[in-house]
Amino acid sequence: MKAIFLRTLSLPETFLSCLIITLFALISQLDPSFLQWEVQRSLSSHIWELAIIAIPMTLIILTAGIDLSVGSIMSLSAITAGMLFQAGSSMPLACGAALLTGTLGGFLNGFFIARMRVHPLIITLATMATYRGIAEGISQAKPVSGFPAGFTRLGQDEWLNLPFAAWVFFIIFVSVFWVIHRRALGLHVYAIGNNDTASRFSGIHVDRILIGLYTFSGFASALAALLFVARRNTAKADVGMGIELGVITAVVIGGVSIFGGRGTLVGTCLGLLLIHETREFVSWHWNRDEFILIVLGLLLIVSVVFQKLLRHKQNSS
Amino acid sequence: MKKSNPRKMHHRFVVLSLLAGIAFIFTACSPAPPSDASSTQLVSKDNNKKKITICLIPKKKGLPYFTSCAKGAEEAAMELGNVELIYDGPTDGSPEKQASMIEQYTLKGVDVIAVSPNDPNVVAPALRKARARGIHVLSWDADAIQDSRDYFVNQATAEAIAHGMVNTMVKDLGGPETRADVAIVTAYLTAANQNVWIEHMKTHIDQQYPNLNLVAIKPSDEDQKLAFKVTQDLMKAYPDIKGFFGISSVSFPGAAEAVKQAGKTGQVMVTGLATPNSMRSYVEGGTVKSVVLWNTAELGYLTIKVGEALATGKLKQGDTSFDAGKLGKKKIAGDQVLLGDILVFTKENIHQYDF
Repeated sequence: MKAIFLRTLSLPETFLSCLIITLFALISQLDPSFLQWEVQRSLSSHIWELAIIAIPMTLIILTAGIDLSVGSIMSLSAITAGMLFQAGSSMPLACGAALLTGTLGGFLNGFFIARMRVHPLIITLATMATYRGIAEGISQAKPVSGFPAGFTRLGQDEWLNLPFAAWVFFIIFVSVFWVIHRRALGLHVYAIGNNDTASRFSGIHVDRILIGLYTFSGFASALAALLFVARRNTAKADVGMGIELGVITAVVIGGVSIFGGRGTLVGTCLGLLLIHETREFVSWHWNRDEFILIVLGLLLIVSVVFQKLLRHKQNSS
Repeated sequence: MKKSNPRKMHHRFVVLSLLAGIAFIFTACSPAPPSDASSTQLVSKDNNKKKITICLIPKKKGLPYFTSCAKGAEEAAMELGNVELIYDGPTDGSPEKQASMIEQYTLKGVDVIAVSPNDPNVVAPALRKARARGIHVLSWDADAIQDSRDYFVNQATAEAIAHGMVNTMVKDLGGPETRADVAIVTAYLTAANQNVWIEHMKTHIDQQYPNLNLVAIKPSDEDQKLAFKVTQDLMKAYPDIKGFFGISSVSFPGAAEAVKQAGKTGQVMVTGLATPNSMRSYVEGGTVKSVVLWNTAELGYLTIKVGEALATGKLKQGDTSFDAGKLGKKKIAGDQVLLGDILVFTKENIHQYDF
């Protein structure tokens, strides 16, 4: 019993929960108006797109990979939808094309990584530049606006008291959670992250899984892009600029090891919650945009160092 | 079976601790509000007037241009006494961040939001939401989409900018009697602002200065190197050319550099629109005699004045003029409050300005 207690205590999720509780306790002392449901619900609209991308990113990092191109895939998908709409296509068609573009972009990443054996860091760094460049090229960096109300409602309306994007996130989260914890695929993802070669020899379809994961990441990015465009009523080549940093930060703060094989989806969710609340509260309370970066940086350092210490202790005991 | 048991225990423990945390949050929430309420009461007792909170949102925080605007805004807030000024904007100049900030301030329930939009389309939904909540919305420095704001605090009309540039050119050349060929180096041939200025410049030259002869209008595509090259080419094509207008913050330094490198400092005049810092070396070196812009501190000052007047009901729809304190009476044209005058930076006064 004591052993279980100690082990639970050293889980990154426990540590994160404590951190989140501390944060909320601090907020309730400093500025309780921030905790009103109305405020929380409205501000939550700033995180859902990032959260949707964080799900495939967690799986990819679990396989010891990384996808830096998510922001650029968002941009390319947004521009695809925008340009098609401007050219007179119907909105559902434009959205379908955008999802297809994103999925294809992710598939190309996976193809190069699995079949050509290019390191994910390098290939997604390359496609990050390429996809963004294409988006800027075909749009001439001009914004597309004036989408039909039926589409923008997806980004602005609420459904059962939560933004529509929140439900998209929950659906994806629950399905992926089920696959990871109840299907063999989940074990395979962890196995690839722990030892790629051993997994191949044990008959796991490593290539197929990797291609699948990066394709999923592309699809999720395209979905996030459409939600973003609907929310802001503007498609532009700078959509999703820098979002990969936010996504990877959330996943790493959530206790997912960048070397693969270790971490959980629940951890990622806690990481997202911590980052979101910190970011919004800092700008809510201090009205200083520059503080956010400092606080987030510190948060990342603290949580990573702490988790490392805990893991070290756990291994030595 | 034996293996799955401790795992389940882990999960149960995590869930329990989370629940405990949430319970803690809610209990911690309730006692706090009274202390906050009493502190706000203290504030309102101190000065009987109701505090008006105004958020001034620049395109990008940390740019010297906007920092100098904020100085004027602070001065206005101090002078008024009943204004609490929040100056904050995205440090990376991202329109999405700007929209998020507007949403936050809307939820906080400030009285006035004044924004210089990076992208009018992106901030429009957020601004409309703010207006629906009864918040007064101003755009300043750059306009927002018309139905998403109450007033636009406009630093200078197109006419004032165009006339200002032509008048300083004529003065720099030595008066209206001097016969001279001049050329315009613009941004893009499709740039909306620049094209309006060019039209006003043409009519002003036609009506007032028959000795000025506009020989060419060339685009620089917002590329300083291209502006440099275009100016060089024009000097070759028109050896007698006496003056260049660089009518964007990029084409102006490009044109000035070309004139300087051609060794024609003092023979060929360059004037245009840019911030004093970007042109300081040319002004001090003598290549450029005057730089045209507006007084940024006064722009910030006027924005806060208008914001306060709007929130207190002093400024009403249909008013045609506005009493802007130390700036005197300012004209209101429809839904635009005009700062009006341009400011000319020369060797004599440029050291007073740092932006």
